[in-house]
Amino acid sequence: MIGLGRHLVEVLSVVLVLSLGVYITVVLDVIVGQAVAGLSLRPLSALMWPFRQAALFVLQQRTSTERADAALWALAPALLAAIASASLLAIPLSRTSAYADIDSGIVYFGALMALVMVAVYLNGWSANSLFPMIGGYRFIAQALSYEMPLALVLIGTALPAESLSVNAIVLSQESLWNVVRQPLGLPLYLIAGLGLAFWSPLALPDAADLAGGTESELSGMPLLLWRGARAAVLVAVAAMGAAAFLGGWHGPVLPGAVWMVIKTIALLLVMITIGHLVGRVRLERFVVVAWVVFIPLALVDVFAAGITALE
Amino acid sequence: MGVVVGARNVLARLASAAPVRVFVLAGSDAGEIENLVAALPLEHETVLVDSPRSANILLAVGDLPPSLHEPARRVHDQMSHPRRTIRLSRTIREKPDAIFPGAIVHEESADLAILLRKVHRELLTGAQLSEPAILSDEEPATWRGVGPYGQGGTGMTGGVPYGRAMAETAPDRDGLALDQLSVRVGPFFPPFPTGLALVVKLQGDVIQQVAVSDNPFATNDPTSDVESGTADPFALALHRPVPVAELEMARARHHLRWLAHALHVQGLDALGRRSIAIARSLGPGGVAPIAELTRILRRTRSVTLAGAGVGIAAPDRVRDRGLGPVARAAGLREDARAEDPAYQALDFEPVVQAEGDARSRWWQRLAEAFQSVTLAARAGDSRAGGNGRIEAPRGLITIDSDPSTEALALIPDLLNGLEWGDAVTSVVSLDLDLRATIFRNLA
Repeated sequence: MIGLGRHLVEVLSVVLVLSLGVYITVVLDVIVGQAVAGLSLRPLSALMWPFRQAALFVLQQRTSTERADAALWALAPALLAAIASASLLAIPLSRTSAYADIDSGIVYFGALMALVMVAVYLNGWSANSLFPMIGGYRFIAQALSYEMPLALVLIGTALPAESLSVNAIVLSQESLWNVVRQPLGLPLYLIAGLGLAFWSPLALPDAADLAGGTESELSGMPLLLWRGARAAVLVAVAAMGAAAFLGGWHGPVLPGAVWMVIKTIALLLVMITIGHLVGRVRLERFVVVAWVVFIPLALVDVFAAGITALE
Repeated sequence: MGVVVGARNVLARLASAAPVRVFVLAGSDAGEIENLVAALPLEHETVLVDSPRSANILLAVGDLPPSLHEPARRVHDQMSHPRRTIRLSRTIREKPDAIFPGAIVHEESADLAILLRKVHRELLTGAQLSEPAILSDEEPATWRGVGPYGQGGTGMTGGVPYGRAMAETAPDRDGLALDQLSVRVGPFFPPFPTGLALVVKLQGDVIQQVAVSDNPFATNDPTSDVESGTADPFALALHRPVPVAELEMARARHHLRWLAHALHVQGLDALGRRSIAIARSLGPGGVAPIAELTRILRRTRSVTLAGAGVGIAAPDRVRDRGLGPVARAAGLREDARAEDPAYQALDFEPVVQAEGDARSRWWQRLAEAFQSVTLAARAGDSRAGGNGRIEAPRGLITIDSDPSTEALALIPDLLNGLEWGDAVTSVVSLDLDLRATIFRNLA
């Protein structure tokens, strides 16, 4: 009974941490958007923005389409949120506080993130509507292009640690962070991460040229959940990036958990700023560049990491 | 029960302070109202959405021709509750509104953002009732499929049987037999100009064939009159000389508003808002903000990413058709201003690009906005126009021709074989306005 209670507390704390991460992501997005637009910054309005937007979606009617696959349509945002939540379990917030210090944490993270493709395609397909369906198609092509570089650069961080555990990877960066040791790793990871979270400039399945793509038929709570889940995936990407490349909870003076939060927010800020400054990438161009440039560079990153680890 | 009501009240208060989600239907003859709508993204409290599904306010601006009434009502009925229509037009002739019977009708609204906020708040707090559907909730044709998705029905595959797009097999560009889907996009697809409807055959998101539907605004509506165009200095310049400075500032603002729309379609809303802000505060000679925006776009390579090699309009296809920036982006030095004595006195030389792709058309319009602001600063009180032809932002307009009608003819060749995203980028880069055919009526 005590064990069950502990698990319940852990589940609730994951939900809380992820919700906080989503909140911070949305606030950062609003603030960076205002700054890039050259408009006057409204910090209080930005802080309230997620609550107000969420309340509006809660009160908004949930619409449907002709012959939609209602069950799968409802499942898609839940699956995306579950993937983001489950992936956080393997990421240590401090030296002792990973929810699950899985021996093969990197593999676990990569396996979960491969399922994002399923969630996005479900959301696009089950609406039984043109633009969501094209959005779903697009994401499959996009996912097949970013998954290889993502997996390779993460494997690269495991080599110096001689372990697939995320905590071991953080421990291996005590003297030198992977962002310095493997300079190709973090840029490639962030590009792949933007693709994974289908965040601009790789928001191809939900782009404006598809009137919102996989979310174009959504309104109300399903839209709130979908956008929240997408932001949660971005948080998970940033948190894993902080652990794998920026030394995780290592840092002077402040507690390890604080360092982990700071580094995660820093990566969120970088990705959100890129999203506001770089326009939608053409899918065909992204696929070509991913296979011709990113994958070879990721292989170089892994080979270099392997040679360094053998020395 | 009390707790539920209390929670709902708290949510309603929070939601009423959220940005108003607005879907815009832009009709013709809106005059200054159109500029107010274009500036809405600068309001922190307003979001212009791409899909009516998640909108609560339908903002119908200007007049819609009869053939667009039913599509407009379909857009209305797709919106989520609570919803309300606001109808703004300078020439509303019927109350209640003929298209949207439940609409709030205004003949003008200088405080558009305040009006939107007020209606939004009242809608969410229950002070105003949500509008019911206008059309009956009936399927467009009897469902004859077997199984939950019609997958087993006889005659339910291929083309558009019974009003629904269904895939059929057809050879793709590589000769493979793949599913092909016939769909109609428009006339209120946000990236496209109002009224543009394309009938496309798609394989995946690759366009195999495209046909352009008739322009619903191309009518000889006798109710249009000369006075209706007075807000547009280029329409005036057809009939009498207008200060060059006024024309050039209007040109620069037009290009910056187009840029904002193009940036939005590329997912760059914040930079789009910056472009609108520049257009609003622009003064003669004030090139610095345009130069800064150009610098950002060059550094981030956003224009190259969006349009390099996309939608190439070869010089032969656009020569002598009065296509203005589209022709100049292809390297043609066609510009009616070069023949005007007022511009010759200013040593006017058309700026041109070389490639003729969507990227070139972006840079062309930015360069022309820059040039226009410079010209406006040097123009003094010189005047141009009055001879029945004028170089407008979209190209040459005369009493009986406009560049959008000419550019429409380019679409099928330009779009065939493109992926959907590139097709949209190409259409946006043409800067079409089907409502511009109103110039014909001005005669």
